[in-house]
Amino acid sequence: MIQRVLRRSSARDSQTGGDSDANTAVRLDGVTHSYGSAGGRLDADRDPTVIALRDVALTCDSGETVGLEGPSGSGKSTILHAIAGLLVPTAGSVEILGTDITRLSDHERTRLRRRHVGIVFQRFHLLPSLSARANVALPLVQAGVPRSTRRERATTLLSDVGLSGRATHLPSELSGGECQRVAIARALATDPDVIVADEPTGELDTETGSTVLELLTDVGSDRAVVVASHDDDTLAITDRVVTLRDGSVMSDGG
Amino acid sequence: MEADRGGSRRERWRGLTELSLVRLRNRATRTGPRRTIATVTAVALTIALLVVLTGVALALAGGVAEDTDADVRIAPEDGGTFSSIDGVEEPRLGETSQRSATIREQDGVDHASPVLVETGRLETGDGSDHGPVLLVGVVPDGESRTVAGVPTDGLEPGDPHYADGSYDGVPTGDVVLSEPAADRLDAEEGDELGVPGAHLEGESTHPPLTVTSVEGEDGDSESDVPVALVHLSELQTFAGSGDDELADTILVWGEPDAAASAAADAYPNAAVGPVGNGGPSALFDDGLALATGLLALVVGIAICASFVATTAGMNVDHDRTALAVLESVGVPASGRLGIVALSTVTTAMCGALLGAALGFVGIRVVNVVAGSAVATTHPLFVPYAVGVALLATLIAVPYPLAVASRTSVLEEVSR
Repeated sequence: MIQRVLRRSSARDSQTGGDSDANTAVRLDGVTHSYGSAGGRLDADRDPTVIALRDVALTCDSGETVGLEGPSGSGKSTILHAIAGLLVPTAGSVEILGTDITRLSDHERTRLRRRHVGIVFQRFHLLPSLSARANVALPLVQAGVPRSTRRERATTLLSDVGLSGRATHLPSELSGGECQRVAIARALATDPDVIVADEPTGELDTETGSTVLELLTDVGSDRAVVVASHDDDTLAITDRVVTLRDGSVMSDGG
Repeated sequence: MEADRGGSRRERWRGLTELSLVRLRNRATRTGPRRTIATVTAVALTIALLVVLTGVALALAGGVAEDTDADVRIAPEDGGTFSSIDGVEEPRLGETSQRSATIREQDGVDHASPVLVETGRLETGDGSDHGPVLLVGVVPDGESRTVAGVPTDGLEPGDPHYADGSYDGVPTGDVVLSEPAADRLDAEEGDELGVPGAHLEGESTHPPLTVTSVEGEDGDSESDVPVALVHLSELQTFAGSGDDELADTILVWGEPDAAASAAADAYPNAAVGPVGNGGPSALFDDGLALATGLLALVVGIAICASFVATTAGMNVDHDRTALAVLESVGVPASGRLGIVALSTVTTAMCGALLGAALGFVGIRVVNVVAGSAVATTHPLFVPYAVGVALLATLIAVPYPLAVASRTSVLEEVSR
C-alpha cells in the first residue's frame, strides 16, 4: 500500500502575487493561442496558423483537482503547457499564485516553474542515464540544494510512492507504472503548489493506472492539480471536469 | 520544501557538474556506450596521430641527441632544414678535437667535447643484427656529464685513440648503452658488441666494444631512442670522418658567458648558442621539425574539432528529449548548455588521454616498423595532447551548443 504522506510539507508563503483570491492557485483568463504565428512575419506567411485555444477561462484552487477532457487537438495539452509556463499564449493571462506568467521573462518563468509547478508527462520522460533517485532529485539540482539533502528528499519521495527498493534502478529497469510513479515523485520534489499531468495513465494498464490515480488523488489533497485525459477512470478522481472542443471551453464543472 | 531559496550558486553548479558526469558515466557504461565510444575514439585517433607526428618531428629535431647538460652548443651555421630535404648530409664542423682543446683552455670553461652522431649497427656475440642504434661519439673528461641523454661516466676519460690526430692510439672499446639500446641489442654490462665493417689504420679489424654500463635502468630515461655512447675518435674511425676531425656539434660546459665567448672565438662563423633541454624546445631549432610539428598541430586541431563537433552534435540531437525534460523541471538555458559543454569537454578529454596513450604505442610501432628511431616520445606529449584536444573542443563546442539551444521543449515532450 502506498503511503499517504504526499501532503504538503508545510504551509508556505508561496503566494507570489496578491491580487487573486487567496485560494486560487491557477487562473487562465481570455487565453488564446495560435501556432504558426509566433515565429515572425515571414514564418506567419509561410505556415498556416492553427488556433489551439480560443478565449479560455479556467481556475483551479489549492486542494482542487480539475480534469480536462476533449478529443485530440481540443487544446488540453496546450492549457497544461500554458499553466507550466512552457509556452506563452498569444493573448490572455495565465496566473500562478497571482503572478501573471505571460509578463515574465523566460528566465523568470523557468524559475517560477521550478518553484511552483510540477509536471507529469504521459510518457514519463525520465532521463534514461540517471537512476530513479537521481531523476527524482533533478529539480533540486538547479535549486541549489546540497547533494545529501537531494538524496534524502528523493529517497523519501520514492518511499512515499512505494519505490523504496528501486532507488538505484535505471528507468529501463522499471515497469511503466514504476516509471510514472518516479515521474510523480519528481514532480513533487520541490513541493510545488501546482501539479499538471498530461494523460498520466495513458501508457499504463488499468491496474497500474489505478495505483497512479490513487497517488494523484493523494497529491491533490492540498495542491492544485490539473489533469488532462481521455480516460473516464482518470477524470472520475477529479473534483471538476472542464470539457474542451476546438480550443474552446464547452463546459466547466460538468 | 524551501528549495531554490537557500541554494547557493556554487551548489547549483556543483550539482549540474555531478549530473553531467553521472549521466556521461552511465551512458558510457550502461545506456548508450556506442555514442560515447564513437566520440572518444574519434578524438583518440586524432590525438594519437598528432602525438606520432610530433614524435617524428622531435626525432627530426634530433631530440635525444640534443639532450645534454652542457651550457653552450656550437653548430654549423647552415645546418638544418634544406640539406635534409635534399637528402644531402648536413654540414659538420671541422678540426673539432683541436679547437675543443683550445676552448677547454679558456677561463670559465670546464669542458668542451665534439659530438658526432651516426646511425649504425652493432652486433652481439652471436652475430645477429638487432637493428640500428644511434652512435654518439664524445670526449669525456671524467666528470659526470650527459650527452644524448646518456651519462658519460661509463667511458674512460679522454680520447686515447685520437692520439693527437694520428688516430693510432689504442681504442678503449668502451660503449655506454641507453636502456632502449640495451633492450634492442639484448646486451648487458660486460657484453661485447662487434662493429660491422669497421677497420683501424692498416686495415686491421676494429676490436669489439665492451658495454661498460647501461643507463636509464632507474626509469628516469625520457626517451625510447636507442643510444650507444662511444669515444669520438673511435666513432670517427667507424664512420670514416676522422680525416677532418668532423663532428656535428661541440658542447661546452662552464660559465655560460665564458663558454659562449670561447666558442665564438674558436668558431667565428658557426652558430653559438645556449643549449636547450633536448625536449620539445629542440623543435624550434630545426625548421623541418618545426614545420612538421606545426602541420601536425594544425591538422590535429582541425580534424579533432571536426570530429568533436560532429559526434557531439549528433549526441545532443539524440539527447534533445533529455534537454527538454531539464527545461521542464526548471533548469534554465545556461544550466542546460553548461551540461552539454561539460559533457562534450569531458568526453573529449577522455579521448585525449586515450589518444596520448595510443600515440605512445604508435611511436613504438613506427620505430619497430621503420627499424630505427624515426620518432621519439616525451612526457610533455601528454599535457600537449590534452591541451590540443581542449583547444579543438573549445573550437567545436559552439556547434553542439547551437543544436542544444534550438531544442523545443514542446516538440520533445509532445512526441
